[in-house]
Amino acid sequence: MSPDTPTGSTTTRVFGTATLFSMALLLCAAFWWSEPDAQQGDAVRLFYLHVPVAILEYVAFVTAGIGSVAYLWKRSVFGDLLAHAAVEVGVVYSGLTLVTGAIWGRPTWGTYWDWGDVRLVSTLIMFLVYVGYLALRQVPGDPHTRAKQAAVVALVALVNVPIVNRSVEWWANRTLHQKSTLIEGKIEDINAFATFLGFVTFTLLLVWLMIHRFRIGWLQREVDRRGLEQALDERRAEGIEV
Amino acid sequence: MGYVVAGWIIALTVFFLYAVSLMLRGRRLAAQVPPDRQRWMTTDE
Repeated sequence: MSPDTPTGSTTTRVFGTATLFSMALLLCAAFWWSEPDAQQGDAVRLFYLHVPVAILEYVAFVTAGIGSVAYLWKRSVFGDLLAHAAVEVGVVYSGLTLVTGAIWGRPTWGTYWDWGDVRLVSTLIMFLVYVGYLALRQVPGDPHTRAKQAAVVALVALVNVPIVNRSVEWWANRTLHQKSTLIEGKIEDINAFATFLGFVTFTLLLVWLMIHRFRIGWLQREVDRRGLEQALDERRAEGIEV
Repeated sequence: MGYVVAGWIIALTVFFLYAVSLMLRGRRLAAQVPPDRQRWMTTDE
């Protein structure tokens, strides 16, 4: 967030400052202002972190899908960089969804994990598929071919996102996970405010992280291109036709 | 309450470390790119 950060800008400083301010408010709301839930007790304080992060992982993966379509359709470099950035940030959000969900599950359901639970397992599959996307991006080779393959993987992986989201409705008898608390309007007053604040905070953070990650993607692309040009120049200097 | 605090600490630590890693990666890569090519504006492809 400092002015001399290569990937920083006025925009990221605004988002960064807003994130820190909002995070401070969220922590106050989560730990001091809100009351323990009648059913979940203090575990509800993890709700303000887990639910926004879980919903925003979908936003990141849908963004990656949009960027991938832009690349496949228009060969948009912007779309490719956006997709890569969105998947990396989405994987961080997805990993934390799994971890905080497991921690939440222990006091609420009595277990960290259940291999028969459709929500948990489908979320894990989604996480692993997008980790695979990131591994694919590291494979050496023609950048355009790699970007095309990654875009196809991102679109195939996107199919799982609505399945994860709706799994608690479609297979209600095969999950410990509760149905959508937000849609059913089961939260109110200070708990609703804390949840709203959670969404604001982690959305600001998502945007801040994605802008930085997008700029890193651009810098990496420039480094790769300069390396290729340098190699070609060296071969020309050796008298080899390229 | 210990579970809740652990969950928050883990999440905030991961976000902090990821943000720091982005800063460091950006700094390392920017050192290899001329200033006029460090930001995406348009592409010549």
